[in-house]
Amino acid sequence: MTLGEKLVQTSIKRPKQIAIALGVITLLLGLLIFKVHVDTDPENMLSPDEPVRIFHNETKKDFSLYDMVILGVVNTSHPDGVFNPETLNHVYDLTQYAATLSDPEHPERQVVSSKIMAPSTVDAISQAGLGQVSFSWLMPKPPETREESLRIRDLAMSNPLLKGTLVSEDEQAIGIYLPITSKNFAHTLSQQLTEKIATLSANGDEYYITGLPVAEDTFGKEMFVQMAISAPGAMLAIFLLMLFFFRQIRLIISPMIVAMISVITTMGLLIGTGHTLHIMSSMIPIFLMPIAVVDSIHILSEFFDEYQATRNRRQAIEHVVATLFTPMLYTSLTSAAGFASLAFTPIPPVQAFGIFVAIGIMIAWFTTIIFIPAYIMLMPEKSLVNFGVSKNTMREHPSLMARLLRRQGRFIYAWPKLIMITALLITGVAISGIMKIQVNDNPINWFTKNHEIRVADRILNSHFKGTYEAFLILESNGQDLTPSEANEKFSGMLKSMAVDDPSKIVVAKALALSQRAASAPDLDTMLKNMEETFIQAQDEASDTTYDAWSDALALLDQFKHRNQVFKRPDVLEYIGGLQAHLLQKGLVGKSNSITDMVKKIHSELFNDPAKFSVPDSIGGVAQSLISFQNSHKPNDLYHMVTPDFQKANIWVQLQNGDNQGMEALVREVEIYILGHQPPVSLQHEWAGLTYLNVVWQDKMVSGMRDSFIGSFIVVLIMMTILFRSPTWGLLAMIPLSMTIAWIYGVIGLIGKDYDMPVAVLSSLTLGLAVDFAIHFLERVRTTVAETGSWKSAITLMFEEPARAISRNVIVIAIGFTPLLLAPLVPYKTVGIFLASIMVISGLATMFILPALITIIQNWLFTLPLEDQEAPKP
Amino acid sequence: MRFILPCLCTLFYAATVCAAPDVAEIVQKANFASYYNGDDGSSLVEMVITDSQDRTRTRLFTILRKDESDGGNQSYYVYFKRPSDIRKTTFLVHKHIQSEDDRWLYLPGLDLLKRLAASDKRTSFMGSHFFYEDVSGRNISEDLHTLEEETAEYYILNNIPKKPDEVEFSAYTIWIDKTTYLPMKAEYLDKSGKGYRTMEVLNTAEIQGFTTVTKSKISDLNSGGSTITTFSEIKYNIGLDQSLFTERYLRRPPREARQ
Repeated sequence: MTLGEKLVQTSIKRPKQIAIALGVITLLLGLLIFKVHVDTDPENMLSPDEPVRIFHNETKKDFSLYDMVILGVVNTSHPDGVFNPETLNHVYDLTQYAATLSDPEHPERQVVSSKIMAPSTVDAISQAGLGQVSFSWLMPKPPETREESLRIRDLAMSNPLLKGTLVSEDEQAIGIYLPITSKNFAHTLSQQLTEKIATLSANGDEYYITGLPVAEDTFGKEMFVQMAISAPGAMLAIFLLMLFFFRQIRLIISPMIVAMISVITTMGLLIGTGHTLHIMSSMIPIFLMPIAVVDSIHILSEFFDEYQATRNRRQAIEHVVATLFTPMLYTSLTSAAGFASLAFTPIPPVQAFGIFVAIGIMIAWFTTIIFIPAYIMLMPEKSLVNFGVSKNTMREHPSLMARLLRRQGRFIYAWPKLIMITALLITGVAISGIMKIQVNDNPINWFTKNHEIRVADRILNSHFKGTYEAFLILESNGQDLTPSEANEKFSGMLKSMAVDDPSKIVVAKALALSQRAASAPDLDTMLKNMEETFIQAQDEASDTTYDAWSDALALLDQFKHRNQVFKRPDVLEYIGGLQAHLLQKGLVGKSNSITDMVKKIHSELFNDPAKFSVPDSIGGVAQSLISFQNSHKPNDLYHMVTPDFQKANIWVQLQNGDNQGMEALVREVEIYILGHQPPVSLQHEWAGLTYLNVVWQDKMVSGMRDSFIGSFIVVLIMMTILFRSPTWGLLAMIPLSMTIAWIYGVIGLIGKDYDMPVAVLSSLTLGLAVDFAIHFLERVRTTVAETGSWKSAITLMFEEPARAISRNVIVIAIGFTPLLLAPLVPYKTVGIFLASIMVISGLATMFILPALITIIQNWLFTLPLEDQEAPKP
Repeated sequence: MRFILPCLCTLFYAATVCAAPDVAEIVQKANFASYYNGDDGSSLVEMVITDSQDRTRTRLFTILRKDESDGGNQSYYVYFKRPSDIRKTTFLVHKHIQSEDDRWLYLPGLDLLKRLAASDKRTSFMGSHFFYEDVSGRNISEDLHTLEEETAEYYILNNIPKKPDEVEFSAYTIWIDKTTYLPMKAEYLDKSGKGYRTMEVLNTAEIQGFTTVTKSKISDLNSGGSTITTFSEIKYNIGLDQSLFTERYLRRPPREARQ
């Protein structure tokens, strides 16, 4: 007795026990689902110890940067744009209100009120008459008159750090930048803001909320709603289609139960093993359902056709399972292998997704084998009386599908070459399409075009210089000096100070102190010792040498700060040059840096637009910056440079969140730096959500490609083992390869981006597309063995086996159309993909395989075939 | 006199009258104790600015002061020593009781003498958590003072700005030491009534007969940063010449400042 027969016997003999056992297991695992911990942060696409992520978080900390929600206020109807008293009052109120917001359920998730960027929270540098420079709030209180409003406009527009960022150049938009402590607060915050906005008087103001955190968090939230609608929707559609085909409501409930059991136990295992429910893993049910249903449909379809022949359900089911056990095992194993290969991608959520879909597929297979026969046995015999079609009925009153399939079989046998040539032509076109595939992703595009998030993104980026942020961090490669090297360097500096008699005395003493301190174990200790001894020397100094000691101490201080490269004019000019280059290349909407800050203050200090430049000495730069720090927000400087002046941040604004744009920017920066050596040795590195998306996309794409190639080989080996023949193994790969080529060819041809959902679906394609080929070829072999010839076998192949495949294609393809109604693009993509995979692999299996077999039949079947007999005269 | 008054209070038990000594007087004494010791004075000041991540920056400067009269107009001169790249930067205040203060900043690296706008009193002093007004003192006539409470050690005063639009706080409370009249603690409330800023005196010393703050701290409760100021080499009545406190000396720091 084979394993399959044993299982079926158990299930036929003890149907009740089987049903109860499955019920209990499902219930227990199902309870684990309540432990669910949801994680909608796409940042977790990267493992927490991924260097780029660690760097991103370090950068956020170093420069006090937060994830930003951007509330845009737009007024296109007022002649002064947003700079009218009423709109500015709204902006003021909204800012005040936003500063108080936090997540009611998690109070630690809140708006960082001290870091809000809004007209009422930023300083304006301005001329206050009599040669005075003033730092005053841009909008200390809401304006009452047109003059006050226009003054706010003029102040903001004259500040390059604000123009294009806080206020749009067309004067029609103001941005309120709300830093949040946790990305998970973004969606709630945007709802809270929307509620507040509804209470404001209507004066032509429009409000838009955007920023990657909102898109990502909202996607997470909507995704779960979507799951609750799509999965049952698909279930219902599949149910109705099966009802149409089998017309036996009791019987077709069983595939539904199989799907439920598979989904519930898999999700229970996923959550029970401590995995978070991530954007990826939330898709498991959607992927698992079609696969679970497919196996059941094969059994039912076969049973449907077989039952009337024997009128004995026990015999019928035994026969069906005996026929289908091996192909079902292999289709499940191949699908599982396709998904399991995702475990080799470097992306944790994708790994979990792949592994658990694979587990779920095997659960579905096992449940199908063990539960469907038990279920059939538990049905009252009389309810089966009218079930299925007798072969006579089928012969005399064939259904439309049956008639079409028979015709198809005859056509293929007559014109095999025509079919093959057509298929190859299509494949040729598809390959040219694959060449055109654009790898790109943008979380905003996960929403449909008219989703409010997409609309907000479009409108705000048309006014501002970009709501997508990335940070280019430059860091000085400060060389670590040994104490003796430091002594040598510092002595050189000291000697240049010896100009008059008192200073010569001091320099001589200082040189000795430096020499002595150089015996310290490390540089820090040495400098500390030197400072102490210098101060002591100054305390004891005579009136004549006192000033010289001050100079020596200052020199020591300068030496200590020698790595503060971002005060150096040449370094600042270099940053400015890089920024100008990127702007000129059109790769950024705008960028902000310490250089812009220094230039702005410099020109304001002199009240001279011509002085919009970097001062020519370190002192000049440092003193411009210290002047800037005489403002209400002295720490704003440290968003651009760290307090030790060893790291600088070029804050880049992008008008589009496409990964391609970010990639182009990264490339251009590399090229620029290669072609323009910085005046000091600098490291550069990117941070920011827009950049993180690029990194995980790259990992995703290359990981998917590798895992796809790996699983293709695994499936080929499995096929070879299954059919005990490399030729048949290769044959089984043909429909699958064609399906993949065609689907990805279309993606390339229509210009759809190869993004995260598309990448993940490649493994589904592999797993599902091979199924039909396995079923088909397995049946071809047994039928040819029974009938003795391909010619007679092909006729039988286009009876029941072809009908099973066709039913499957239709049920799954149409069953998942509810996904197309989803407002989230990845769900639509899944729906379209499932339908395409089913239709194309169904067509490829039922056209190309028989056509190819017809052409190579003499070679393929070693047994004597009737066609090989002497040609009929 | 100081110890006679409480005795009288006990005798007559006129609590409402005596437990509330004249607020104006407390405020004035506190103002004197904080800003008017001696006729002039000098000190070396070290400011350590700490941010929420415990990263620190240091500023070292000399401060000179000369009064016209106690509680009246006075001048301040600040000379920066370190960090080296702002060395020789100087800052001058002419504090006027009847009108807005005049303030100048000289930046040697740009060779630029700049007047600072009078309105910017409550902006950061050189990137620290101290405001300009904390350095030279807030004009006592700008707030309405009430005695909130009197404890064994302190007069606790509540202060409300007369021109709320000009300041970022809605009120502040100060704890004035009953013996020295030094404000030992202050707490500022923002417009929504939430505490966001505190000042604490960490150390005092008796110098030439004047109890003097030698260490104080201002904390920004919103950002989590703070600045600790340490005063050393404090001297009073050193005979500073009024001419030092003029624009001319900003470019050419006097010896008194450089030391």
